[in-house]
Amino acid sequence: MGTTLRKRLPLLTPIAVILALMLVGAAALLISSGQVLAAPPAQKPDNSLCLGCHRQAGKTWELPGGSAISIVVNPEQYDASVHANLACQTCHTNIATFPHPANSAQDARDYTLQYADTCARCHPDQVAETADNAHARVRQDPGNPNARNAPTCADCHNPHTQSLIQKDENGKLTGPEHAAAANTCAKCHNQIAQEYAQSVHGEGVLVNNNPDVPSCIDCHGVHNISGPTASGNLFRLTSPQICARCHTDESTMGKYGLSTQVLNTYIADFHGTTVTLFEKLDPDQETNMPVCFDCHGIHDIKRVSDPDGGIQIKENLLVTCQKCHPDATPNFPDSWLSHYIPSKDRAPLVFYVEWFYKILIPLVLGGMIVLVGSDIFRRATHRKARPAGPDAEEKTGR
Amino acid sequence: MSELRQIYYQRFSIAQRIEHLILILSFTILALTGIPQKFAQAGISEAIIALLGGITTVRIIHRVAATLFALEAIYHAFVIGYKLIVWRVEASMLPGIRDGRDVYDYFMHNIGLKKEAPRLPRYNFAEKMEYWAMLWGLILMGLTGFILWNPIAAARILPGVFIPAAKVAHGWEAVLAVAAIIIWHFYNVHLKRWNWAMIKGRLSREEMEEEHAGELERIEKGEIRPRPALETIRKRARIYVPIASAICLALTLVVLRFITFEETAIKTIPPAVEAGEVFSPQTPTPLPTAALTPTPAAVIEAATWDAGIGELFKAQCGSCHGSMGGLSLDSYVDALKGGSGGAVILPGDADGSPLVALQAKGGHPGTFSAADLEIIKAWIAAGAPEK
Repeated sequence: MGTTLRKRLPLLTPIAVILALMLVGAAALLISSGQVLAAPPAQKPDNSLCLGCHRQAGKTWELPGGSAISIVVNPEQYDASVHANLACQTCHTNIATFPHPANSAQDARDYTLQYADTCARCHPDQVAETADNAHARVRQDPGNPNARNAPTCADCHNPHTQSLIQKDENGKLTGPEHAAAANTCAKCHNQIAQEYAQSVHGEGVLVNNNPDVPSCIDCHGVHNISGPTASGNLFRLTSPQICARCHTDESTMGKYGLSTQVLNTYIADFHGTTVTLFEKLDPDQETNMPVCFDCHGIHDIKRVSDPDGGIQIKENLLVTCQKCHPDATPNFPDSWLSHYIPSKDRAPLVFYVEWFYKILIPLVLGGMIVLVGSDIFRRATHRKARPAGPDAEEKTGR
Repeated sequence: MSELRQIYYQRFSIAQRIEHLILILSFTILALTGIPQKFAQAGISEAIIALLGGITTVRIIHRVAATLFALEAIYHAFVIGYKLIVWRVEASMLPGIRDGRDVYDYFMHNIGLKKEAPRLPRYNFAEKMEYWAMLWGLILMGLTGFILWNPIAAARILPGVFIPAAKVAHGWEAVLAVAAIIIWHFYNVHLKRWNWAMIKGRLSREEMEEEHAGELERIEKGEIRPRPALETIRKRARIYVPIASAICLALTLVVLRFITFEETAIKTIPPAVEAGEVFSPQTPTPLPTAALTPTPAAVIEAATWDAGIGELFKAQCGSCHGSMGGLSLDSYVDALKGGSGGAVILPGDADGSPLVALQAKGGHPGTFSAADLEIIKAWIAAGAPEK
């Protein structure tokens, strides 16, 4: 045996070197491709040994703290999941034997948190995006009572059941995925989710599974979720741009007969001008200047024509104005042109004032330019102004 | 010609020149802080606003300058009233048909179609135009400015749409005023020749010739209306001054009331905190309880492999002890045959069967419930029948 190996060594060494180089190259390719670092093996592993026990419905594990977790993995669901080709041990690296090694988790949450860094091994980009998100900040804030509850990957993506996220040809999430996302957030943000469900967007996502309609993540981000409070006033000041992403897109808004003038009419107005300038010049500026959601609602955004609070109805708009202008009288809401560009039919007074100046300004300035031009012409031709002599006035009878 | 330059004619008193300086100051500040507000999205506007310390500061500066402008206007009204009523000076700033004729003559002369230029009066058409444009601007900007400054109060008496209309008028009127100052005032007073009248208060004879030939002639002919006797002035002033002072004081109070009426556009109150709990988890779904093992009494009665024992093994042990090799509990024959360590089921000897011993000890991945184990034991004790 020893001699055979020694004989073959000259032959084996180059092969081994080439193999090693190929491996390194493949790894480099995988890293540079971003998405999922370790491509899952093409063949299904044999997880039957583990599933033998863990497939049995109702199995739980009692933790010292008194809580219990379900340790059941449904083989059918797992097979349908995006991780179907991964062996259990890919993630559960410490469990190789039975009885399983002792685990220090004191309660169910402890156990989940033990796996907080596991996903990064294959999904480093996504995990990197989460590094400074609103949830990470809560988790890292020792003073926050919910620090432990801040979600890790697995809280949103159950690794045993997560299916491949469905996108259309443009990379846009499908309608059902929109709904799934909303339902995922609802697990911890139930109160907000209830409000959202009543909103025009919630109805579009949860009831109609319409992919055009925003779910939570369309406004708040997915892995880089930035909380409205965590980022100070910046979220408020930049929020009109979030709404504008869809509401200035003619191809989407056209389907629903919605105006795409909402952003420019807002920015042209006093409130929008101020917010825009604050955002650009002084992003930390605290402001009560309204952004889209102050009038239209945050999670409970209604149609403007909604009889229950829609702000197209003047009485409802007055109530909205009075949130910041408590002394506002019924005339006041008309000072806001409701995102309309003044025309003969809408705010004719504003329209005609604009017209008045469109005529007056060229007329006045044009006249001045003509007179100034004539004076320049006279001087250019080297003629000195020669007022008529005193006699001339008498002659002309002045 | 050069000796003519040495003769000067007084045009403006020191008080008038100070008034003009106040106008320069307030108008320039209003323009510098106002035009960037009108075109807020332009890069240069942003730069100016940033330089002045942000939009709120810009708005406050604009208001201070506007107040100065308004107070200057009240002072001016008082002085003009005094001159017209007490001194009975000619209302030389009043426009007339003559000014229209002067414009025409001036233009025709400039383009060479008329030999002689018009003989212009004390205030020529160019100056009258500026003066009355300023007055028009003052009234329009004052009214629209008041609406924008106090939108809540304005909406109490006016339809709400007056507020955006005022904004449009205020902005475009400002553009018109600034452009007119640049084109008309700067050209006529600074570019075509530097006019010192508002600094030094006087014009040379040559300048008078060109711009106020009519006035010059009247001065030289001694046609200027003389100031009334001191006694007359005193008598008139005794009536004018108290009345005009009262009116101006009232106007000043009105201005002060207006500028302190509302802080709508410049006050920033902290944004309302959104109600509602951010972290409000759904009630967790209770963990599923173990599915009930199918252990009908019938199984005990007919405790044979085919009548249920086989199913019991398959459900509890089948995933490992199936076709994977080693001990198989898939079929009756395999079950009795046992694994590599020999038989695990010894028919008739329940307690001696290794399977029972292992299950009784606990800790095996698949563990029968106590009830199920009793059934298994009974079945082995009965000889582990197949049928």
